[in-house]
Amino acid sequence: MTDRLERLINLVIALREARRPLHATEIHARVAGYGQPDPEAFRRMFERDKTDLREMGVPIETVPLGRFDDRPGYRIDPLRYDLPEVRLEPAELAALAIAVQATGLDGEAGSGLLKLAVDAGDPGAARPHGEVAVEVEFDAPHRSALMEAQLVRQVVRFTYASPGRSSTRRTVDPYALVHRRGRWYLVGHDHDREARRAFRLDRIVGGVKRIGEPGAFDPPADDVGIDDVLPPVPEGVPETAEVVAAPEVAWLVARRARGAGTQEPARGHETSEGTLGTSPIPDGDTAFTVPVGDPEQFIGWALGFGPELEVRVPPELRAEIIKRLTWLAKRS
Amino acid sequence: MTTEAPRARRTLARLERILVLVPWLLDHPGADLEEVASRFGITAAELADDLDVLGYCGVPGYGGGDLVEVSIFGGRVAVRMADFFRRPLRLSLREALTLLLAGRALEGVQGFGQSAELRRAVAKVERALGGVATPSLAIDLSGPGDEHLPALRAAVAAGRVIHLVYRSSSKAETTERDVEPWALIGFRGAWYLQGWCRLAEAPRDFRLDRIRAVSVTEEVVPGDRPRQQASPAYEPRAGHATVVLDLRRPAWWVAEWIVCERVEEIERHEIRRITMHTSQLEWVARLLLRLGEHAEVVAPAELTARVARLASEALDRYQTH
Repeated sequence: MTDRLERLINLVIALREARRPLHATEIHARVAGYGQPDPEAFRRMFERDKTDLREMGVPIETVPLGRFDDRPGYRIDPLRYDLPEVRLEPAELAALAIAVQATGLDGEAGSGLLKLAVDAGDPGAARPHGEVAVEVEFDAPHRSALMEAQLVRQVVRFTYASPGRSSTRRTVDPYALVHRRGRWYLVGHDHDREARRAFRLDRIVGGVKRIGEPGAFDPPADDVGIDDVLPPVPEGVPETAEVVAAPEVAWLVARRARGAGTQEPARGHETSEGTLGTSPIPDGDTAFTVPVGDPEQFIGWALGFGPELEVRVPPELRAEIIKRLTWLAKRS
Repeated sequence: MTTEAPRARRTLARLERILVLVPWLLDHPGADLEEVASRFGITAAELADDLDVLGYCGVPGYGGGDLVEVSIFGGRVAVRMADFFRRPLRLSLREALTLLLAGRALEGVQGFGQSAELRRAVAKVERALGGVATPSLAIDLSGPGDEHLPALRAAVAAGRVIHLVYRSSSKAETTERDVEPWALIGFRGAWYLQGWCRLAEAPRDFRLDRIRAVSVTEEVVPGDRPRQQASPAYEPRAGHATVVLDLRRPAWWVAEWIVCERVEEIERHEIRRITMHTSQLEWVARLLLRLGEHAEVVAPAELTARVARLASEALDRYQTH
């Protein structure tokens, strides 16, 4: 479709170079490529061109034709068209190119990176050289639409499938996008629940619709962040547990004791006493104090070690584990 | 794009390229055609086609002095009369946001966040966004085992063989092995090291949280080893066992976290029956130990016995005192 490509370039040039806004009939008559006589066919063609160019970021403005003529006119303001000087240094450009590649966002950020590379005088730098040794699975459906809505403070509406419940329609003021442990979340004010909620992007069914005008709500006064997507920890649960680990897995348990890999700050430690609860620690084994957090998650973690880990304290968690193991052991 | 036909998309992609190509050509009159094409990652023929289109464009009137002048002479390109395209098109909101996202994603990751160049690049892009508020984002790419990232990243970059003490989850055993690493991958919330494992004599993925110790050797990775970069997601192979499990509601998360061949809802949607494959039944048995009464083995029958055996071994530990 060379014809359309030519026409689009000519339209951009005409709107940019005109000294005053152009009316649609002037565009029809003057811009190369709109030669067909049927005004309706022209109108459809021009609408489609205008939409596609705006989508690409070409700032086509609709303004009154003149001081005494309020019919719509079209123009491109060169100041709004031109990329301002960004002037990335070669090392900065290279670092950004690697980040784009590593996050798998090159599909959406590639064209922007090329603009910056030309601005910096080296279009080849938009493609990182050599193999990129880091990759993060990072993109998610609806991410960019929600980021844009968040940025301009526009309300969004979508269908959300809560696990084990029927899908519901949600209307949300988007506050922030949060990425944690391989998942994207939207945190925002849920109009129907009248409360702050986190939504997993992969549970949004169908599309995200932006409704109403930009600037529709104020950003929240307090911080929005990772804390908003952490599962709530039930109340009245012991903070720590004491466990005994076989040498095979002691290093793994030590990691939890340090607080790594859990949502709790480090407050566990290796226990130095020779006994724990009422019994001695078997030779070669190590005792640890580890954070509990969500008890169900903790029990799952402990059971996953099979015979290589024993929970000594607190007694209620120990009893629950023994109950579950007994049930399973009888099932063969 | 509003018009989704592939032809329309190709046209818009070419337009995007031309709008960024022309500023470069204006700045570099007489540039070598082949060299320009390679800098932009296109073929010389594609570049010539783009330039051909450009020669028919210009300001209305389209007479002498109105059209863009394109000349290709002796393999050299010059573009004139195109001052309206002296600068690339401004970054679209979407492009700028995605660049910022990419730049900020790795900030919090051990071994990456120190890049001063990346931080400066992000700051410059934010400025180019022109005073628009910056996006509200929180990104946590940390994960268990990420304390190994700095050492591993250096080893991958330098192409050094590494020695691992690794506990496999599939067999629940610890082994020592030499690995020729080629990539670090963040996938489904976990970090993986990918490389050629000399113990398995095959490409392998190692989850960082299962690495007990790393040492980087002096040995340089041989350059002729074929690399196979694939997602760390499990892929069934011939000879792997088929497992069918019935999951009750509290265990439904399993169906989201592991690769299932099939997920069916049965018993009035109260149970999800999953069909999956595995090279090792051991990890499935340990998973079932965690799930307890929320999961039921449909097949293979030996798995139920295996779980029961594992449970009574674990009970022994609890009942010795």
